[in-house]
Amino acid sequence: MGETKLFFGPNHPGMHGNFSVHMYVEGDIVKKARPVPGFLHRGFEKLMERRYWYSNISLIPRICVPEPDINEICYAMAVEKIAKIEVPERAQWIRMIVLELARIANHIWNVGGIGGPLGLYTASYWGVADRDRILDIFEALTGARVYHMYIIIGGVRKNMTPKIEDMIWKTLDYIESRLPDYENLIFKNRIVHSRLKGRLILTREQAMEMGVTGVGLRATGVEYDIRKVDPYLFYDRVEFEVPTATEGDAFSRVYLKFKEIPQSIKIIRQTLEKMPQSDRVNVPASKGSGLRRVVPKGMAYAHVESTRGEYGFFVVSDGKNKPYRVAVRGASYPQGLYGIEKYLPGTRIEDVPIWLATMDVCAPEIDR
Amino acid sequence: MTSSMNEALEKLEVFQPEVEEIDEREAKISVAPDRVISVLETLKSLGYSHLSLMTCVDWIEDSQFELVYILFSWRDGGKFIVSTRIDRNNPVFVTVKEIWPVARFYEREIHEFFGVKFLGNDDMKPLFLELWDDKPPLKKDFDPLEYSKRKFPGREYKKDVVAEAKRMFRGEING
Repeated sequence: MGETKLFFGPNHPGMHGNFSVHMYVEGDIVKKARPVPGFLHRGFEKLMERRYWYSNISLIPRICVPEPDINEICYAMAVEKIAKIEVPERAQWIRMIVLELARIANHIWNVGGIGGPLGLYTASYWGVADRDRILDIFEALTGARVYHMYIIIGGVRKNMTPKIEDMIWKTLDYIESRLPDYENLIFKNRIVHSRLKGRLILTREQAMEMGVTGVGLRATGVEYDIRKVDPYLFYDRVEFEVPTATEGDAFSRVYLKFKEIPQSIKIIRQTLEKMPQSDRVNVPASKGSGLRRVVPKGMAYAHVESTRGEYGFFVVSDGKNKPYRVAVRGASYPQGLYGIEKYLPGTRIEDVPIWLATMDVCAPEIDR
Repeated sequence: MTSSMNEALEKLEVFQPEVEEIDEREAKISVAPDRVISVLETLKSLGYSHLSLMTCVDWIEDSQFELVYILFSWRDGGKFIVSTRIDRNNPVFVTVKEIWPVARFYEREIHEFFGVKFLGNDDMKPLFLELWDDKPPLKKDFDPLEYSKRKFPGREYKKDVVAEAKRMFRGEING
């Protein structure tokens, strides 16, 4: 049988966003795979050079939609580093709550989303419905459900009220009560076992060589998490564990995401208890408009642990009121480009969407 | 800086780097282009083995490109921003894909957006942009407005649509 060229995506039900994989297949075995990310180039890095430091806050959440807050925090942290701004303590705790809530929302969506390529749609619907409860919190806190623009340079936009804190407590209890249902539906399911267990194995050496971070690396038994290794905000003041697995297969990657949800719940509960009361949640830019903010010359790199791995912003300032250069380190860059080319050949066609789903390849992160 | 970062800097002294401390766990090292590969290899052997990002900055006034490699250590959380400056008019540099295989894609990206050629990396096909026919778009002298005006010239309508709408709605049209 001869080789056939097959296009997977950009418009395909199993595909995650505008992304394409060109495959040469023989039967149903992939012989060669080539990632083609260029389907949505929006030129974020160039756009950011043409806007004021503060205006960029409303632009960057659009880079990766499911977890927009990590864009805001990375950018804000990098600018704060260059300008040497000290963020008020309460704002730092609130930022942690926002990040962890976004993390839970994204993990629930992802764990449920594995139902998509497997035909197990109940899981997807549950994931979307439960994520909506967290979006309700975001709506109450920031006024927006998806693009929050809440974390700004020097703090957060406004204070968290006791009513919202109460809402968070209740939602956490609800999500915790739902976890056994997910466990029964997804992780005790025969379809999931036969499609994911022992498939698409990435070993520790391969993950380290590729530069894969996040669950892809932790599924190989390495306890590497930026929140532990390079703590930002107050992650060194709360107790949490980093779940790991040793198999390195697709199943353990999804299961690790699921295992991280209770840890995030634990972090938020501790944060709500430890957070001091204060009215000061941001550092005003200047008298009048924040658009006049001038950042001194310098460059800095800030990175955080997103649900997909290491996410970072490299910011260069030439001492004016606009960034000179901003470069985004997409978390799914290594597994979405190099990983596809190197590790998909030899697998079956049906495994390709599972690689993209369990490795969390987010197209706009690669092709900004 | 952490103790392991200080140790690494001591070992790098032979390359005469210019060191600037940014944060308690972050430092910038600027070296000459012919020494940067040795610096990167030394840092990799000392545990700074994770290439977080590779990118380029266009310093148009100095007529230079600054190539930036950000290395991270999973052991102590230290970050090094290693940078070197090359001539903007003849942007050629050597590849680091033997040290970090994923750098192949970063180099392709830099080639596409800045026009820097990497010797030893033969795969320089466009990665993101389709049918691009202008200078690399992230260069500072690329003018997006001029490009879009040339590429998508103002459309001329056969009918005067506003007058048409006013006629249809009997003059009651906003604006």
